[in-house]
Amino acid sequence: MRLELHKVKINDIKWGNTTKVEDKVLYINQEEISSLLSKDDRFECVEVDLARPGEKVRIVPVKDVIEPRCKIEGEGDVFPGFIGDVEGTVGEGKTLALTGAAVVTCGKIMGFQEGIIDMSGPGADYTPFSKTNNVVLVFTPRADIERHDYEAACRVAGLKVAHFLATKAKDVSPDEVSLYELEEITKRSKELEKLPKVAYIYMLQSQGLLHDTYVYGVDAKKILPTLIHPNEVFDGAIVSGNCVSACDKNSTYVHQNNPVIEALYKRHGEEINFIGCIITNENVTLEDKKRNSSYTVKLARMLGVDGVIITEEGFGNPDTDLIMNCKKAELAGIKTVLITDEYAGRDGASQSLADASPEANAVVSVGNANPIVKLPPMERVIGFSEYVDIIAGGFSGSLKDDGSIEVELQAITGATNELGFTCFSAETR
Amino acid sequence: MKELERVGLPTVHVCTIVPISQTVGANRIVPSVAIPHPLGDPTKPLEEEKAIRRRLLLKALEALQADIEEQTIFGN
Repeated sequence: MRLELHKVKINDIKWGNTTKVEDKVLYINQEEISSLLSKDDRFECVEVDLARPGEKVRIVPVKDVIEPRCKIEGEGDVFPGFIGDVEGTVGEGKTLALTGAAVVTCGKIMGFQEGIIDMSGPGADYTPFSKTNNVVLVFTPRADIERHDYEAACRVAGLKVAHFLATKAKDVSPDEVSLYELEEITKRSKELEKLPKVAYIYMLQSQGLLHDTYVYGVDAKKILPTLIHPNEVFDGAIVSGNCVSACDKNSTYVHQNNPVIEALYKRHGEEINFIGCIITNENVTLEDKKRNSSYTVKLARMLGVDGVIITEEGFGNPDTDLIMNCKKAELAGIKTVLITDEYAGRDGASQSLADASPEANAVVSVGNANPIVKLPPMERVIGFSEYVDIIAGGFSGSLKDDGSIEVELQAITGATNELGFTCFSAETR
Repeated sequence: MKELERVGLPTVHVCTIVPISQTVGANRIVPSVAIPHPLGDPTKPLEEEKAIRRRLLLKALEALQADIEEQTIFGN
């Protein structure tokens, strides 16, 4: 499968008479966005706002972040099952991406499991979405709406706007075209066959109770582990419906730009033979955890891979899925590297994961979610800042009278993202 | 759990994700239903659910009285 990603760079975002992309500026017409969402009677109202890198703006509580993308050639459209039809599959042809822009959805769905994005100041250093030009959608639900329906409405609204914005740049010539091509697994060249075969085990949050991920529109808790082509992921086949702690939630944006897949592609044909991705879930019964880790490793064995990279989403009981996947793969003779964050306490001295195993002997940590950060007051808050006290990582008194905030890092959207889509890194040599 | 056992009180860990219970060093482990509802199952009729609760509690009491030499899972 071959996918060209046509990247149209966005350097600024402004209000305009019409929604368009011109000279690397994304112009937003508020009425056009509002009317796109006005048919959804689950909302009382939707406000549209803009947040640019460097502005003294805080966005809270953030639900999801989405990169504007649309298909310009090839089967289907992005976000199949939500925007694109599920007749046919995505991942081939040409896709347009507005890089440097993002749609940020903001609403008090769970209250405690949405996040903070600061566009400047110390908080901005921790979130990748302080560097994007953000179209922020602030949702007020109809009073009688059930929370799952509210979440679904917010999810779809974000995808709709992201798709709409990208279509407005269809006539703009791209600043960069990236090519992603992976040969059929059984028809690879002798040169490739000589390299170590590596697959990616991609764990999707699926605990339910608003901790959900969707694949082609299917609730991931209902899938058996399966194969997905990396290009399908770039086309939005995986969508976040999650209200987990903000720091290690895989936003839809991060799925669309999965850095593990990018890195495996980069090394394909040089250091490794990148076989593909196995998606699996993180369900709430032991039976499901056993079944799905066994099934995942069985798929890896059927593919005959030498090694796998495993990423987790969230923390706590999913640590067991991570460890089960790792242990079963290692015992089957498949080398593993795990990517996870840590909840090691504010001083970093506590046990990092809820589960452990001697087989987990190669782990990349994306950071400790518990240290305290102090976020100074901002000139403008988009959303509802009264939720800061109850946000995961916040505590009574987190929100000060002057508008400053003292919270654990876990309250910041994407701060310890477990796909490695983070801002800081350190290494020991 | 560990502190209770340290002062000599036998303790049962009723827990859905048994591997976590094992990792943290529980000695008596009774597997439960699911993370969001460890001691019951809201998808079942009330009578059936009461039976599940009763079975888990009796199992836990049985585990509490058992003579054990090592980490033990008291399954069905």
